[in-house]
Amino acid sequence: MKLATLPLAATALAVWGSLPVAAGTALGAALLLASLGRRAWTAAPGARGLAVALALIVALHAWQDSWGAGLAAALRVLTLVVLGYLLTATTRFEDLLGIAEALCAPFRLFGLRPDRLALGLGLMLRFVESFFAQWQRLDEAHRVRAGRSGGLKLLAPLALHVMRTAERVGDALTTRLGD
Amino acid sequence: MALASSQSLPSLQSLARISLFAALVGVLGLLPKIDLPVGVPITAQTLGVMLAGCLLGPARAFLALLLFLGAVALGLPLLTGGRGGLGVFMAPSAGFLLGFPVGAAVTGLAMRKLPGPVLARAAVASALGGIGAVYLCGVPVLAATAQLNWHGALIASSMFLPGDLVKCVLSAFLVQTVLRGLPEWQPHGG
Repeated sequence: MKLATLPLAATALAVWGSLPVAAGTALGAALLLASLGRRAWTAAPGARGLAVALALIVALHAWQDSWGAGLAAALRVLTLVVLGYLLTATTRFEDLLGIAEALCAPFRLFGLRPDRLALGLGLMLRFVESFFAQWQRLDEAHRVRAGRSGGLKLLAPLALHVMRTAERVGDALTTRLGD
Repeated sequence: MALASSQSLPSLQSLARISLFAALVGVLGLLPKIDLPVGVPITAQTLGVMLAGCLLGPARAFLALLLFLGAVALGLPLLTGGRGGLGVFMAPSAGFLLGFPVGAAVTGLAMRKLPGPVLARAAVASALGGIGAVYLCGVPVLAATAQLNWHGALIASSMFLPGDLVKCVLSAFLVQTVLRGLPEWQPHGG
């Protein structure tokens, strides 16, 4: 239900998003964000990239059209991004996963199994951490040998590691669950 | 062979490959930005799109990137710069994100259909999918959300083109190296 507000807000803003309206909604979204208190700071890592994107939008509009149009467009985008962030920040991961599984139910018709979605996500999460650790090990080893960070050279061994692990995990899953 | 591998799509073997490549794309977003010798910083995430396409085949590559985007939508900070959540799908660059699965599928399809040695196939396939298809999804969305005209949206996107071209070459060499190191890996049955 909360989730449905996002596409609705996006559509409404696209239709009625003049500068004053966009400014109002952006302010409203910002106030909602502030109501999270300290948790709002978890949004900080994404803020810089967003700021650059918004500045680009304003600049490109100012160049081709007018400052006002640019500002309105940037504020509309800001509103939606903040709303999207708020939705994710205030909803538990399990609830979102439940919604995702429900949304994926129609894929059953094509022979895909929604319950495998949770397994797939779990595997993915587990291995993001594992592969990142592997990368750090490779980088450390390279530093010891060459005295500097390995950079791009480590991508091939990392990809090989991923592929070998995928084979092993596939075998293990087949043994455990059968298929 | 190709048919057989796509028929066994929901198998656990496939699920393992799909999930682990989705994880690889996530890790590529966590890595520090890699500076090229000429000083252009590139983020490795779209490299993951190309690699998945070349190494998994179209269907599984599509699902891998879909799974990755699903995890991002659920709020995991897996995009470059630690971004995640539904907000990123409202940002002007959302089209490029949605282009990831499409790009991976196109890469996989091109890799399967094109003739020639692995290196050349992988380079062309990566360009078609990782640049062509991704931009085709990204530029219209950028134009619509930022309310730019096509011209402006194209100019804004073209800043990333040099880095993306480098990634195609990189992806081709990686695919060649990796397939040499793991000859029994069957990307799409052959």
